[in-house]
Amino acid sequence: MNESLINPFNLSHPTTVQTSLFAGAQIARFDPTGRFIAAGRAIGSADIWDLETRAPIRWLDGHVRGVTSIDWSRNSRYVLTSSKDWNVLVWDLASACDPPQRHCTIRFDAPVISASFHPRNSQIVLALLSTGEAYLCDLRKTERSRIELVELMEESDDEQGQSTRTRSFMTVARFEPSGKYIFIGTTAGSLLVFNSRTKAMIARHKISGAGIMKGLDFAKSGRRLVTNSSDRTLRQFILPSYAGCEENGLLDQELEPTHRFNDPINKTAWHAMSYSPDGEWLAGGAADPAAHKVYIWDISNDGQFASALDGGREPLLHLHWHPKKSCIASTTNQGSILIWHCPNPERWGAFAGGFEEVDENVEYDEREDEFDIEDEEILFERKMKAEEEEVDIDTLAASSDPNASALVNGNVMDVIGGSTNGTPASTVAVVGIMGDKDPDILWADEEPDGDDPGEWRMRIVMDNEAADYY
Amino acid sequence: MDIELDRKQDVLPRDVALPGVKGMPTVPEHLPGSQEQLTAHRSGPSYRARYILSGHSLSISSVKFSPDGSLLASSAADKLIKLWDAYSGELVHTFEGHTEGISDIAWASDGEYLASASDDKTIMIWSIESRATVKTLIGHTNFVFCVNYNPNSNLLVSGGFDETVRVWDIARGKPLKVLPAHSDPVTAVSFNGDGTLVVSCAMDGLIRIWDADSGQCLKTLVDDDNPICSHVQFSPNSKFVLASTQDSTIRLWNYQTSRCVKTYTGHTNRTYCIPACFVTTIGKYIVSGSEDAKIYIWDLQTRQILQVLEGHRDAVLAVDTHPTRNIIASASMEKDLTIRLWCDD
Repeated sequence: MNESLINPFNLSHPTTVQTSLFAGAQIARFDPTGRFIAAGRAIGSADIWDLETRAPIRWLDGHVRGVTSIDWSRNSRYVLTSSKDWNVLVWDLASACDPPQRHCTIRFDAPVISASFHPRNSQIVLALLSTGEAYLCDLRKTERSRIELVELMEESDDEQGQSTRTRSFMTVARFEPSGKYIFIGTTAGSLLVFNSRTKAMIARHKISGAGIMKGLDFAKSGRRLVTNSSDRTLRQFILPSYAGCEENGLLDQELEPTHRFNDPINKTAWHAMSYSPDGEWLAGGAADPAAHKVYIWDISNDGQFASALDGGREPLLHLHWHPKKSCIASTTNQGSILIWHCPNPERWGAFAGGFEEVDENVEYDEREDEFDIEDEEILFERKMKAEEEEVDIDTLAASSDPNASALVNGNVMDVIGGSTNGTPASTVAVVGIMGDKDPDILWADEEPDGDDPGEWRMRIVMDNEAADYY
Repeated sequence: MDIELDRKQDVLPRDVALPGVKGMPTVPEHLPGSQEQLTAHRSGPSYRARYILSGHSLSISSVKFSPDGSLLASSAADKLIKLWDAYSGELVHTFEGHTEGISDIAWASDGEYLASASDDKTIMIWSIESRATVKTLIGHTNFVFCVNYNPNSNLLVSGGFDETVRVWDIARGKPLKVLPAHSDPVTAVSFNGDGTLVVSCAMDGLIRIWDADSGQCLKTLVDDDNPICSHVQFSPNSKFVLASTQDSTIRLWNYQTSRCVKTYTGHTNRTYCIPACFVTTIGKYIVSGSEDAKIYIWDLQTRQILQVLEGHRDAVLAVDTHPTRNIIASASMEKDLTIRLWCDD
């Protein structure tokens, strides 16, 4: 709401560290509202921080070994933590008791590398194990299941083909933002696409030269994807449409990246990357052993390198872009969370009513009638006339930002992705609306998880003595 | 408690100066009095006194309905906060703890806590459930005059005679920010609907809008004559601010364009800080107390006085409107010391 009062043209990438939270965290993730941060620690606990007060407000104690990933449900009610202790825990922040008790536990038979909620229903959890297997766990009563996502092998014509081809390990698994598809990266440098409902593999994208896939991140629209791989290059792809893939069989297609991002001088590897909410910027966290470096690329400007942010000497482990603002959270190996922001310059003119700050001197043109003495009666009448205009004091207008309003429906047009792909943005939007009748989405919406806006609120815990130690 | 009131004539005093333009009726045609016509057309407010609550022993400074509307909290110079049942008028509880008079109270949005600003330079947070003080916020160097929660109720903003606006982390009871906001006592301060802005006003006559996150001043609204500004709050959609000034005027500002879009006059306000509030339940009205012991109700759009509530015997310093029902609560000073609940059924 305050964006319009601050400079509306000032939306840019973060430039400086605003604060540093001493959380002892290795991973930090903003919740979908951007009000909280969940911080996962190497000792197995996780904290929820309130960014408005910059203080920890909940302690989630459940794992006995390091937390490997954290995810938030779409309205921030549930938090998921995966750990090297072979468990995935789900926490309900709406629960009345403090400290919060685990909402549910999903046990596996190997350390869990990463886990995430289905974007539409937090009762569907995707987990990736250190053994290179990915599982889709459905915790809903009617659908309760745990299904391994298995790479489909082609039946090769020659007989040796079967034996030479070994199944590759899965190294990264993510839901695409609509939740319809699951993307899995493998040690063989390929991306596998699964349908979340049918659990069937529908596509395989070979990415030449990538090596082992290390990370995946989607722009909010889901049409663009960036991958991190062992060749120390981030690649951005525009995804093809998977509609009809189920019927037509496996789509085996090599994807050509639209952009490649790397550090040509230091050749650093990347620990993490994250798109800005509008998808116009990409941040990459460098795996530099002696420095905390965040690289920013300007996607709207043909992926040009924009800046390298220096966060001091503590090496970077993870980073995440704020879901709404120009703000990044990056973690250091010493456990601090650095909150990066784009500071607004102080406008001293704002302190004096009716004045405006100008950068350069402006020749003032006096209006013809500026010093004319007008009849007070007429002035008053004119003022009263002006006040006739109706005012609207209680309708909350939809946000002026089209991206923000589209986000409410979960269907975002990707303007940049659309244009580079030659697809008019309008058709993308139509697909989004049609999506409501999509069987995959209907399937995900069955048995709602109770995480709806307005259905819960974060209670303020008053006797929060423990927070004083931070 | 429910004293049968001799029905006051709600007729508009003819000598009240009404804003009006030529060709526009200066007096509303639907004068209350012909009740049948009123109820038939629902053409204007017809509030009538339902309950008179007495209990405070010194001037009442503030009345506030709880967010769900079931309780009414009142604070007074007698250092007490009283909780009343908003529908039956019964006294529910009296909170004691401040060592000086209380100027303002505010409800947390979940209705679980109440914050009070006192002349003992502290703010106290009271738990409605346990009926006890849970936090005392110390930091103001002079009287605390106004207090308000943000929508998430994790922050509190306060202003006082030390001319600062302070933002507090309630869970820890610690100050987060001190804004050197004004050059005179701060008379009102509050958050907007999404908690990103803070508006403050002071006796220096300025209304300032602040970025809640960074504490930067974003805008200053000032009227030509610079009258003492006694109360300010955001409209329900946070697009406007409603400001009362001690030139007996209430103004609705569009703070984006820095333009005053409506002025409401007719009441008397020269000495005290009297809040104005919005009614959005039956129609769109502006309600304010007045130093002539009356309560004025204006039409939001036409700026005409629709009803004047009479009954108090001293200046009405505190007014609040019920969040869902057509109830107005008002409270008065020394010569009266009552809280009145007015209903329009």
